[in-house]
Amino acid sequence: MNLSKELSTRQESARHAAAKDYTEYFSFSRKSSTVVILIAILVVIGYFIWWLNIPFIEDIFTAGTITLIMALGFQLFMGNSGVLNWSYVGYVGIGAFASAIFSMTPSFKAMQIPTMYPFLVNLHLPFPVALVAGAMVAMIVAALVAWPLMRLSDAVGAITQFALLIVINVLLSQWSQITNGPRTFTLGGTRLTSLWVALGVAVLVIIIVYYFKESSLGLKLRATRDDRYAARSSGINFVAVRYYAYVVSAFIGGLAGGLYSHYILSITAASFYMGELFMILSMLVIGGSMSVSGAFFGTLFVTLMRQFLRQAENFLTRSGFEASGSTEIVVAVLMIIFLVWQADGITGGEELTWEKIKRRLPNGKKSREKVSKNVKQEEKA
Amino acid sequence: MESKSTFTVKGLSKSFAGLKAVDDVSLQLETGEILGLIGPNGSGKTTLINLMTGMLEKDSGQILIDNHNIGEMPAYRVPFYGLVRTYQTIRIFKNLSCLENAMIGALGVGTKHREAAQLAVALLEELGLGDKIELSAQSLTFRDQRLLEIARALAAKPKFMLLDEPAAGLNEEETDELLSLLKPMPHSKQVGIIIVEHDMRLIMNLCDRLHVLNYGRTIAEGKPEDVRNNPEVVKAYLGSAAHEQ
Ligand SMILES: Nc1ncnc2c1ncn2[C@@H]1O[C@H](COP(=O)(O)OP(=O)(O)OP(=O)(O)O)[C@@H](O)[C@H]1O
Ligand SMILES: [Mg+2]
Repeated sequence: MNLSKELSTRQESARHAAAKDYTEYFSFSRKSSTVVILIAILVVIGYFIWWLNIPFIEDIFTAGTITLIMALGFQLFMGNSGVLNWSYVGYVGIGAFASAIFSMTPSFKAMQIPTMYPFLVNLHLPFPVALVAGAMVAMIVAALVAWPLMRLSDAVGAITQFALLIVINVLLSQWSQITNGPRTFTLGGTRLTSLWVALGVAVLVIIIVYYFKESSLGLKLRATRDDRYAARSSGINFVAVRYYAYVVSAFIGGLAGGLYSHYILSITAASFYMGELFMILSMLVIGGSMSVSGAFFGTLFVTLMRQFLRQAENFLTRSGFEASGSTEIVVAVLMIIFLVWQADGITGGEELTWEKIKRRLPNGKKSREKVSKNVKQEEKA
Repeated sequence: MESKSTFTVKGLSKSFAGLKAVDDVSLQLETGEILGLIGPNGSGKTTLINLMTGMLEKDSGQILIDNHNIGEMPAYRVPFYGLVRTYQTIRIFKNLSCLENAMIGALGVGTKHREAAQLAVALLEELGLGDKIELSAQSLTFRDQRLLEIARALAAKPKFMLLDEPAAGLNEEETDELLSLLKPMPHSKQVGIIIVEHDMRLIMNLCDRLHVLNYGRTIAEGKPEDVRNNPEVVKAYLGSAAHEQ
């Protein structure tokens, strides 16, 4: 009796000691620093490019930032659920067309797209409202169609998502009362997505995607990714957690689409298909799809590489070699190499945190060397 | 002190293509008890656990926790009524940290994030995983992965916990450790435990009662000493185990 009493008081005190400590594992340097680091990198690059004031480079940055938002929204569902979500670019397309229709002036719409439904022609919203409303349209479409699909995983899941992308793409390219059909859809007016608008939205999206992943819902979703059975017997309805993530992901995709259409100013359904999907998929694979840092650095890396390859391609073509298409090949091969040898990407599927940076700083280095020396000695023994 | 709960299984059956894997099994368990579920390989122990947790659809029978008919609920609702399990083939969330793995047990039954974290840290320390809290689950040793699964199950603050061969793959020393961890649990956690094991030393030292299956049917139940001397059990199970040794 005494023994068990002592045992339980010991456990009680251990519990109290732990109760004080658990916050340590959620400290700024271990968790939220990721958001600050990623935003700081983006803002510093953005500010520097704005200061340089070279339109060509500014355009690359703005387009790259829009792609980053796209990749982050893709990561939110695919990275956390493990389901390859082909339909995602479809929602980017829906957001692009919807927000454009909302923001264009009625007179321009009537002239450009004579087949358009009259109630759409008369709709006219200010740009920020149109952007959010466009994203909401994408989100609502996702919310309406997704429930029965969320049950499916692996190959079957990917195939259904692929089929859904085809449905969305055909609707976007044929529904001429809304999208001008297969013809180019021109927005007219000035470019509303400036460097700062794209940057501002990207900052917001980094915050949303990171805290979604760390939230209870995000954690449950990541559990279903690793083991659906264990998640189920732990009380998680994987269909429901996937559904919420899919809908949020569609919203961010729609937001990226709206920014894109107000940046490029003329779009077709083909802008939101395999090519775009391949691009963000390569970013996620190369960066590491399981982390927000992976989506971020994957986008940075692939964007820079594509720019470099594009320049090299142009140079070669000018000097007489036929090199067009080589960019796509290099990116695709790199993606294959990563999937075979480093499936978790350059980040290893982990977040970049201040804690990890500290460990790599010069004074952290010594202890690391010591550890590796010890390991080597053990290996010898 | 919480009042006692009762876990009741009545006439549970399941066939796979004509093979009766579980055949009219009934049992009862109260919080604070440890019941050993034993039987030769393929006798239906894992299938019974799958049925009790709703992971497999039963052909017939009833499963109750107090007066809640959990046998008619989807598997993901079952933990909310206090029934959790571990797996014979370890199922952990390999890309999540130990902390996150244990937290899932609590979050799964609707615990708030902060409390889940607090509870998970306390449980991991209690089970001796305190220095591995931030490691990813896949980097753990076999033994630690088994303990992590138990931590995840306990994080749901269950009334009943079903352990499917928690000592499989552990050496003698590790099995003893597991024994000393499990032994006080029914009392300290107010939980009823059903444990499936082939290690008779562990079973005999741990369990208040035994339930023996053979070809999906109950062939004996009762106190360990009585069951051990039951001729049918000796013939079906202990005999063959003794024979192997
Ligand atoms: N999903 C399934 N489909 C078909 N047959 C199954 C299935 N699951 C189990 N069985 C069969 O049911 C019987 C009972 O298997 P079960 O896994 O429950 O045994 P067990 O007592 O847990 O054995 P072990 O001690 O080896 O773990 C076996 O004959 C097995 O082959
Ligand atoms: Mg089994």
